[in-house]
Amino acid sequence: MEYVSPEGLRLDGRRPMEMRQIRAEIGAVSNADGSAVFEMGNTKVIAAVYGPREVQNRSQQINDQALVRCEYSMANFSTGDRMRKPKGDRRSTEISLVIRQTMEACILTHLMPRSQIDIFVQVLQADGGTRSACINAATLALADAGIPMRDIVTSCSAGFLNSTPLLDLNYVEDSAGGPDVTVGILTKLDKVTLLQMDSKLPMDIFENVMQLAIEGCKAIANYIREVMLENTKELEYRRGI
Amino acid sequence: MVMELEEEGEKLVTPGEVLGKSSSLIAGKGTYLAPHNHIIYASLTGRLTTITPPDSKDQRPTVEVTGHKAYGAVPEPGSVVIARVTKVMARMASADIMCVGAKSVREKFTGIIRQQDVRATEIDKVDMHFSFRPGDIVRALVLSLGDARAYYLSTAKNELGVVSAESIAGAIMIPISWTEMQCPLTGQTEQRKVAKVEWLAEFNFSVIVLPIVSDVVADALVWIPHGTCISCSKTMLY
Repeated sequence: MEYVSPEGLRLDGRRPMEMRQIRAEIGAVSNADGSAVFEMGNTKVIAAVYGPREVQNRSQQINDQALVRCEYSMANFSTGDRMRKPKGDRRSTEISLVIRQTMEACILTHLMPRSQIDIFVQVLQADGGTRSACINAATLALADAGIPMRDIVTSCSAGFLNSTPLLDLNYVEDSAGGPDVTVGILTKLDKVTLLQMDSKLPMDIFENVMQLAIEGCKAIANYIREVMLENTKELEYRRGI
Repeated sequence: MVMELEEEGEKLVTPGEVLGKSSSLIAGKGTYLAPHNHIIYASLTGRLTTITPPDSKDQRPTVEVTGHKAYGAVPEPGSVVIARVTKVMARMASADIMCVGAKSVREKFTGIIRQQDVRATEIDKVDMHFSFRPGDIVRALVLSLGDARAYYLSTAKNELGVVSAESIAGAIMIPISWTEMQCPLTGQTEQRKVAKVEWLAEFNFSVIVLPIVSDVVADALVWIPHGTCISCSKTMLY
């Protein structure tokens, strides 16, 4: 099947180096300490952060830093066919672990000993790149909750089909069976916190694809920073400062 | 691409933005110092403020970022807290911390006051049941994060101890000395480790005016407030 036409257009009309349209909204869940909705094309994800609060399970308490917990689940209606088991299956457990490790690397956990930070991520619409959308939504939600972080973590995926590196794969391109590299970086510090890949790639092509994904991450980070500043200005305006 | 708001020299920052080098700035709240390259970064989204240094040896200004989400206060060692006593046992008392400084907490924390931390003198002769009762509101100092179950609190200062307590009859008692409180309904005195409250010294009641006598207990921890209205039949003399 042809994923990149001879004119250089993908199945949804994008160029190979073009990302899908991103949209973010802060404060969707008023009950949570911090929350955000993040959309990448048709993929829509909502994240809610509770914390720092007292650890509910005393045995898991860490004396000198905060405990970060993460739960990833997909809504029943998020995929084309209705999902039977939204969470608890292997894929959800793996993605929960991945998101937790990524966010734990950027939160300054030593500032909140003996406390717990819960990150709940729910996929409302799944069209490829849910892992990346979840990490971006979690970053926004953590910043909304006022939890101190080293830097903003953003994530983007890239693949390699028809001998072309493609940025931000959607579901059809993802299910093609080709390589899918997901990168999560701390943008200003230029450090990688997440790197995952499906399938195989030769080493030199892998470096190109990873670099493309990193460029995508930086573009998302710029957008996320704008959204955060806009939100802060709005909050100040409402408080009358 | 990143919008900066210049208003009175302050701007909005997001996590990860570079604020300066550690050779020219001190990292305050909302910022952190990366050890490997000695650069100070912001860790919160909010307004950046620079505090000019006091006249000390270190002339570097402090940078702070104030975020907009004020999450509940967390007790730190050295902070003064208000707690309600829940259990009194032979060698310690359990209390629920309700306020840290002037801020109330979002969810309660547990603290314990051990026998040796109730007061500063004669600590082995302390009787916990004559110092606290369940339901008393105490002002205490956080000694440390304590063990896995509770913070360690101390009331071993004049201004720490019971600030409000209910008598057996059900009325709010009036403090009459650092060891006693009196019920206004029945006149009965009950023993507590009472905190010295500043405002008591300024009250003027016309009924009884008491002199301050302080020659009794060795460390002069006895205090009797001026002009406290107590039951008419008693005059406090030590």
